[in-house]
Amino acid sequence: MAEIDTSGGGGKHKGGVRSKKMSTRVDLTPMVDLAFLLITFFMLTTTLSKPHAMQLNMPKKPEKEEEKQEIGECQVLNILIDTLDHVWYYEGLQVAGLKQTEFAPDAKDGGIRKVVLDMIKKVPNTCPLTSKGAKREAIVLIKMLKGARYENMVDILNEMDITACKTYAIQEPDPIEIEAVENGGTVKSFTREGETAPHQ
Amino acid sequence: MPKVKVPRKSTAVDMTAMCDVSFLLLTFFILTAKFKPEELVAVNIPSARSQKQFTDAITILLDKDGKAFIQLGEGKTRHQMLQQLIDRNGDRYPDLKNLNDHQKELFGNIETWGGPISDLPRVLSMNGTQLQAYQKHMPGIPMDSTNNQLMDWVQSSRYATDNNIKIAIKSDKDTNIQPVKEVVKGLTARDIHRFLLVTSLQGPGTGDAAAAAPATDEKK
Repeated sequence: MAEIDTSGGGGKHKGGVRSKKMSTRVDLTPMVDLAFLLITFFMLTTTLSKPHAMQLNMPKKPEKEEEKQEIGECQVLNILIDTLDHVWYYEGLQVAGLKQTEFAPDAKDGGIRKVVLDMIKKVPNTCPLTSKGAKREAIVLIKMLKGARYENMVDILNEMDITACKTYAIQEPDPIEIEAVENGGTVKSFTREGETAPHQ
Repeated sequence: MPKVKVPRKSTAVDMTAMCDVSFLLLTFFILTAKFKPEELVAVNIPSARSQKQFTDAITILLDKDGKAFIQLGEGKTRHQMLQQLIDRNGDRYPDLKNLNDHQKELFGNIETWGGPISDLPRVLSMNGTQLQAYQKHMPGIPMDSTNNQLMDWVQSSRYATDNNIKIAIKSDKDTNIQPVKEVVKGLTARDIHRFLLVTSLQGPGTGDAAAAAPATDEKK
């Protein structure tokens, strides 16, 4: 009862050890193994050496009037990046609300990513419908200040990819925006042409 | 009942055929594998999440100081690109008119070019070691608005491939944004609205934005 039967089940043991017949053939299995290992290596390295890239589509100038998109003040998020790797942002057209944040999403305020995500969530619900009755979506305008580093441009485009922001454009910063960033967010002459100064 | 005798078969499979096939494949992959082009210009590219890979592109390289270079994979295309440049812009670049066929073919061996066109005749008559020395200290391709040779090269490469070429910008992390903007402006002015920014795949701890990538889905 306590014995464990290790034999294959039948229990009929054939007596005697059979001597193996030696084959004259050479076993090619290790060679095949090696060959396939090398194949795998070359296959993987040839495809991996292709460089990675992110696609950047610049807007074409609209030829017809209908192609032009109607943009409301409430759907625009402006992101400015300065020479010291700082990210500045404000919503709408009033530079007055300029705030500073960081690239790192683990920053206290959630970084620029949270700003963009909040904007994407907010715009369809709070903005009035377009003249055609469609819901509006967030539009991000990226403005690289003179002397900013290229890495920051890639970083912010990467954020656009991560947050799945559909509409974004790289633009030249306005003089007033440059002034606002240089003054650390506070601007004396807040008005652009045709705008009234905001109350503060 | 009479016992049926099962003939004893060897369990070993003949590996010769498999070995043949695998070595055939191995030879194929070894022969088709392309070596990484020699990095003449040190460029520390930024990282991003994008997994998109590309081939068949003309790469506009911008180094830390904003000097521009062009890189093109295939020698044959490079040769055709030079021919297109001579055919279409020969009047503006008289230096190119005196190039002989041999020199034009030599251009096919230059994978990375980064000098003014006026240097080309001199470079194409150099020997190996002189060429190497020149390539180590290339002055960069002029790209100011009056003499935008960079865009002429890009246009020539498009003509040479019937517009079947992608345009990639490969720039250093620390490059000033200004030359990048210049290149982008030049491209859009020539009706090129889609291009690639060469990035490296981000791993853990490669910059601020990099570490954040996995956290995105939670926030959504």
